[in-house]
Amino acid sequence: MSMWADLASVWRLWAARRRALWAGLAVAMLSALAGVALMTLAGKGVAAGVAGGGMLGVAALLWLRPFVLIRPALRWWERMASHDAAFRALADTRVWFFRRLAERMPGGIGFTGSGDLLGRLVSDVDALDRFYLGAVVPAAGALAAVLAIALLLGAEPALLLWVALPLAVALVLPLALAPATARAAQRAAEARGALRAAAVDPLAGMEDVLAANAEGRAAARLAEADRAMMAAQRRLVARGAWAGAAGQLLTQMALIGGLAWGLMAGEAGAALAVLALFLAIGAAEMLGLMPRAGAALAAAGAGARRLFEAADAPPPVAEPATPAAPPEDATLALERLSFAWSPTAPPVLRAVDLVIRPGERIAILGPSGAGKSSLAALLLRFAAPGEGRITLGGVDIAALEGAALRRRVVVLSQNARLFDDSIAANLRLAAPEAPEAALWRALAKAGVGEFVRSLPEGLETLCGEGGSRFSGGEARRIALARALLPPAPVLVLDEPTAGLDQAAARAFLATLGTAAEGRTLILLTHELTGVEPLDRAFRLAGGRLLPAAG
Amino acid sequence: MEPPVNGRAASAWLRKEARAQRGRVALPIALGLLSTLCAAGLAWLIARLLATLLGFPGGGWADVGLALLLILVVALLGMAQEAAQTRAGEAARARIRAALFARLMALGPDDPRGVGEKASLLVDRVEALEGFFARWLPAMALALLSPLLIILIAWWADWVSALVLLVMGLLVPVGMAVTGIGAARESRRQLEVLGRLSGRFVDRLRGLATLVQFDQAEAEARALAGKAEEFRARTMRVLRVAFLSTTVLELLAAGTIAYLAWRHGAHLGANHPDPATALFCLLLVPAFFQPLRTFSQAYHEALAARGAAADLAPLLEGAPPAGLRLAEVPPRVAVAFTEVSLAYPGAPAPALDRLTFALAPGEALLLVGPSGAGKSSVLKLLMGFARPTSGRIALNGQDATLLAPAELRRLSAYVGQRAHLFAGTIRENILLARPEASEAELLRAAEAARVLAFARELPEGLETRVGEGGYGLSGGQAQRVALARAFLRDAPLVLLDEPTTALDPGTEAEVMEAIARLCAGRTAIIATHSPVLRGLSARVLALGEGRRAESPVA
Repeated sequence: MSMWADLASVWRLWAARRRALWAGLAVAMLSALAGVALMTLAGKGVAAGVAGGGMLGVAALLWLRPFVLIRPALRWWERMASHDAAFRALADTRVWFFRRLAERMPGGIGFTGSGDLLGRLVSDVDALDRFYLGAVVPAAGALAAVLAIALLLGAEPALLLWVALPLAVALVLPLALAPATARAAQRAAEARGALRAAAVDPLAGMEDVLAANAEGRAAARLAEADRAMMAAQRRLVARGAWAGAAGQLLTQMALIGGLAWGLMAGEAGAALAVLALFLAIGAAEMLGLMPRAGAALAAAGAGARRLFEAADAPPPVAEPATPAAPPEDATLALERLSFAWSPTAPPVLRAVDLVIRPGERIAILGPSGAGKSSLAALLLRFAAPGEGRITLGGVDIAALEGAALRRRVVVLSQNARLFDDSIAANLRLAAPEAPEAALWRALAKAGVGEFVRSLPEGLETLCGEGGSRFSGGEARRIALARALLPPAPVLVLDEPTAGLDQAAARAFLATLGTAAEGRTLILLTHELTGVEPLDRAFRLAGGRLLPAAG
Repeated sequence: MEPPVNGRAASAWLRKEARAQRGRVALPIALGLLSTLCAAGLAWLIARLLATLLGFPGGGWADVGLALLLILVVALLGMAQEAAQTRAGEAARARIRAALFARLMALGPDDPRGVGEKASLLVDRVEALEGFFARWLPAMALALLSPLLIILIAWWADWVSALVLLVMGLLVPVGMAVTGIGAARESRRQLEVLGRLSGRFVDRLRGLATLVQFDQAEAEARALAGKAEEFRARTMRVLRVAFLSTTVLELLAAGTIAYLAWRHGAHLGANHPDPATALFCLLLVPAFFQPLRTFSQAYHEALAARGAAADLAPLLEGAPPAGLRLAEVPPRVAVAFTEVSLAYPGAPAPALDRLTFALAPGEALLLVGPSGAGKSSVLKLLMGFARPTSGRIALNGQDATLLAPAELRRLSAYVGQRAHLFAGTIRENILLARPEASEAELLRAAEAARVLAFARELPEGLETRVGEGGYGLSGGQAQRVALARAFLRDAPLVLLDEPTTALDPGTEAEVMEAIARLCAGRTAIIATHSPVLRGLSARVLALGEGRRAESPVA
């Protein structure tokens, strides 16, 4: 089964933590055995008490008291050990996944498709956290308990059949059902994706929906997707309910099986039957966790599948085996460059030719969707051209080492992100060794030096997630300062004034000349204001590059 | 620690929603109580059988049969309860989601929240409420009612055992509180740390391209590992205490069993008055603690719901704006702006400052001026996406702001800067404007907007699927579909916002021609900075940098 293979891969991912993980399982089993011991002693005590309060019964009841304390103590230890191991594994999963994505999807998740992917992958990583704690640990505990019970009742084959067998089935059943549950979970996740698409469509086209007085119809479509999702979820829940009910039925059958055997065996079997009864009661508690364990296993299996799919995506451009020497010259040339996001989508670039000399400042105009951001992605090798090539100083950029290319071409993209860290830390991403004076110089060039100086904490001010601490204009300028820090000969600004008000945008564009300081500057924008210091301007329409008129 | 103010508003909103949901939650609670009753019955049968085994005859094969029947009933009841809970959760989510969607639509396109954020509110935040309605509400009620039911039953059997259960039951919250004083605070901190680690992971994944650009992905991976290790060490310190509260519950359960076992076991000698009853009390203990355990497992559902409610409550509180309805759409519309101002909250200067102009029915007006001069704002006011801060907008002499926004929009055909194509066929996308239109009307509109011209080239013509996941139309083609919508709508007022901005010159001329035909005989207002459109026979109103209306240029 592919689900088991995926989960085995997850387990291998945690190789470095194997000792902690096994230790957690060992404690869980020990704790389960303590539970069995507690019930054994209770059963013997009751049986002996009834039989006339013999020494054995008294001893058992005396022994009961410490076990009452030992069992919860072991449970506490089990939780500590298993959580400790799980947290170690959890970190490994994230770091591994992060590294893989940096390699396979350098443009970021959702760069080539639905923005929903990121949210889904993050919840898939969370589902893997539940794999160990929610599935493996309870299964280990229940397994230990069932084995101990089989051993204790082993003397009587009929009891094995009537008591231990249903318990064993209750243990295995949820795990056996897990792959089918994983498929149901997958369908529920797809239905949720469909609901999101049904929500995004009218929200993105809200103007058109409202203009057509189509709110009611849009709401009806959303409600339909909502019902479809809930139906898929209901099937998933029903599976869980089935598994839960079956598990409960089996453990109670074991209990009644013990009693029925006792009825048949008569006086001679009374003690053993009482023991079986108490063991079945004790096992019910541990086996009661199994349906949830099956669900956690299914969720982890489905999550692992999607994670591996994302992590195994081929990189857009493979790193060359023997990279070419980085060129000195910074002449950038697009040679019959064509590009489409997918085979079915219309091409956004069609055989574009352009040579940009070092130090030249050009603008490429076009409405959103015209292919400007595609061009920026191609320049960084976040995407591969369909046909044609891009050369830097005469060397095909596909032959360069990725890091070397990105040291020479810096793109300030529309979604350049300020991380939830200090301004200084955000700037030093671009130049880790830069002294404070260099940071201030870059901020000044980007026209945001005064602003940062006015903050009480200066460079140490936290930016908030995505730069939320600042206004759109301030955040853009700090991101520009970061792009200016490394001495890259080519600077590409993709809609640098998006989200700025008119005056701020003009001021920003007017300072570009000083900011770029002799570098090649490529400005990608939907309109010019007239203040940009430009040598040439082009217009991107229908995938072709035309000289901009006026 | 006091919850923040919006936390309290969220709890209040959740309580209100829970009350609205009362009828649906009653069924799973009733089924749960029935399950408890069956569990007690099962315990009684087992006790009788056990007593028989121990030499106090009374039970027999009839009890075994009855017990088997009961466990089947309990299993079915469990499934029925699960199904009823699920239905309750579904009903609540469907209701809240529909209300939220209507609210977002009422807020209009000017709402500052992005599409992704709104979609996440509509999908994820509402989904996060599922556990609250489906599991937490019934679990909360059953955690109180089921143990009480067991105590009543135990009282009937042996009042001392009932008393023991009662005391133990009361000790559960006490024990939870004692260890919880530390644990609640600590677990809140743990959630915070977990949130921060997960937040950092998501934050860095979102900015992956930025990290790759600056060759910092590997450094960040190492930093992520370091943070996670720090997080683990801190969380484990917290959990050490937090787990004690769970342990208390287990200790109490174990203690209760041990005490009752000892009490009955010690007296179970030959002179015990009623061994079956004694065993029955013992076997009731797991059934007594089960609902409490379910309750503590459902606790995180309430936490998750409270977080989601904090985001949803402010949106869903408060009544939606009302307004008058339109008796019928008049055939011709005159528009008059008198001293109309519009200021967006937080903006340094008003978008429109005392704008005055008048348009006779059938007249066309071009709004020109640099971007940011307020051209789009005029259209937004007429579309009801914004309300004037001051001044009067009259349509055929009637105050337009008295109309409900949706009614106001019935007067207009609107085409924005970038038409949105919805997932569906081209035909469905045009029919959006007037779903009841006839085939002939549809074809006329598609022809007038030059949609048929390009649709003929497509493999499936008007049936070609476009939008998300469909065939990718170019910007010009999408814009023509939007114009076809406007033709089909056949409204007396035409509002166009930079309709040719996304087009290359060739397409622009073609679309221009369609626009001229659309405006013929209708009152039209067109915001533009394209020189091509100036060829229309229309008055021109220049909106200036000073954001002050200038007198119309003839």
